[in-house]
Amino acid sequence: MQFGNASEISWIINLAFFAFILIFSLYGAKIQMWQWLKQIEAGLIELKRMAIESRQRAIDTFKEYGRSEEEVATELDRWLDYFLIYPVDLDPAGILQRLDHLLDERRDRYREFVTQLAPEAGPELAQNLENTLEVAQVLSLVFRIVRHYYLLGKKTGSQILIMQIHMQMPELLRIARAYFEAIDAFADGKPIGDGVGPLVVTRFAREYGATPDQYVHDVSREVGYYRVEFEGRTVFAVRATGPGGTVGKPGVAVKRLVEENKGAISRIITVDAALKLEGEELGRISEGTGAAIGDPGPEKHAIEQTATDHDIAIEAIVVKEDEAAAVGVMRKRILDSVPEVINRVKSAIRERTKPGDKVILAGIGNTIGIGL
Amino acid sequence: MGVVTKIISLSFIALGTLIVITYGGAQDPVISFIGMFAGLMLWSIGLALMGAGRTTQVKPPPPTITEIRCDNPDCDFKEIRDFEPGDYILRPMEAHCPKCQGSLTIYGIYVVLEQEEKSTI
Ligand SMILES: [Zn+2]
Repeated sequence: MQFGNASEISWIINLAFFAFILIFSLYGAKIQMWQWLKQIEAGLIELKRMAIESRQRAIDTFKEYGRSEEEVATELDRWLDYFLIYPVDLDPAGILQRLDHLLDERRDRYREFVTQLAPEAGPELAQNLENTLEVAQVLSLVFRIVRHYYLLGKKTGSQILIMQIHMQMPELLRIARAYFEAIDAFADGKPIGDGVGPLVVTRFAREYGATPDQYVHDVSREVGYYRVEFEGRTVFAVRATGPGGTVGKPGVAVKRLVEENKGAISRIITVDAALKLEGEELGRISEGTGAAIGDPGPEKHAIEQTATDHDIAIEAIVVKEDEAAAVGVMRKRILDSVPEVINRVKSAIRERTKPGDKVILAGIGNTIGIGL
Repeated sequence: MGVVTKIISLSFIALGTLIVITYGGAQDPVISFIGMFAGLMLWSIGLALMGAGRTTQVKPPPPTITEIRCDNPDCDFKEIRDFEPGDYILRPMEAHCPKCQGSLTIYGIYVVLEQEEKSTI
């Protein structure tokens, strides 16, 4: 190595270069963790904003119905971390009955809470308030869980904790944003994308002469049906009661209808919204076999078990949507798909049942903003 | 992004480029090195400023539309207006059709997003 004015500089550059390599190989992971924590923090701030704003929106909605803002706020905070303990699955026998029981109990508690906090709201408004509350709850839960892992990761310096939450952040933010945008729909009682099932069923029933008065209420909790004649077949068009926001218990309703019409039901058709794959067109219609229903388990099980016990064919027609479209105000594209879904329902009945048969057509989904 | 931030960050980048061009190729290695270093420094400051000024602007949600149609199948009357509280799909309206005096029902309540994303693949 040559010494002198020029080589002194190159010596310094060499040293800086090695220092750089050394710092990054020894502390690279630390620097990356710091960077990730900063990114998680940015996401966390957005989650917090959404949680706070949705809580405020829920308070603003509730206080219209008879209680003061302070009372609503105190009670709501007590309710925001209401939880459900899933039944033990070490002994899976009867787990669905137990889960069903717990879900019923939870629905009762929600109803009770809403009537206490909004005594002047009618039953349909109370259902919408229940939905609003659920959205605020989901956002609060997501924020608290992400904050937990963020703080834990920071405290322990555990790379795996930080890495996991950093990797899941984009997906969590996407879902949280979808719910956050949906809270207006629930608070105002606007129809949502998930309501396409009940809408199809009601339009179909109306086309064959059904009126709101002919709707048979409460075959099961908050679910009823229209009985219509279609080209010689009797169709039981099942949907949850509206225009309040509820999904009801459609599985139990299908089960009861099958039992009431001993052996006469020849086909069950379910219509629902389904998650679309990225790249698929919103509002695209797909058909398949099985029960199209996305409940935690008991309702789907009831339909499948009934169909199996009575040897009834079961098919599904779904409208593809993403999360944001399913929980947000109904998009025009989804509304536009309704006539085509009805055509598919008609051809399914025409081609796969005989005149004189009885068919159950079940529209699964949240009926907010969709009248009888 | 504000115009001021844009101008400041662009002038940083321009100044950096100027320094690199003027001193980067100087005969004296010390001046060349310092010129290179200072120029790139200014460049990174300019680029960082450009990135920092990028704010995610939240678009207001599109208005919800209520579409009312005449129940008479031979009549094509429809009215489109903003959503009003109390509206729901299939709600019978009190008003009558101005064309045929038939009954009116809410046909749909929906939003239209500006760009409904369409995959090119
Ligand atoms: Zn008319």
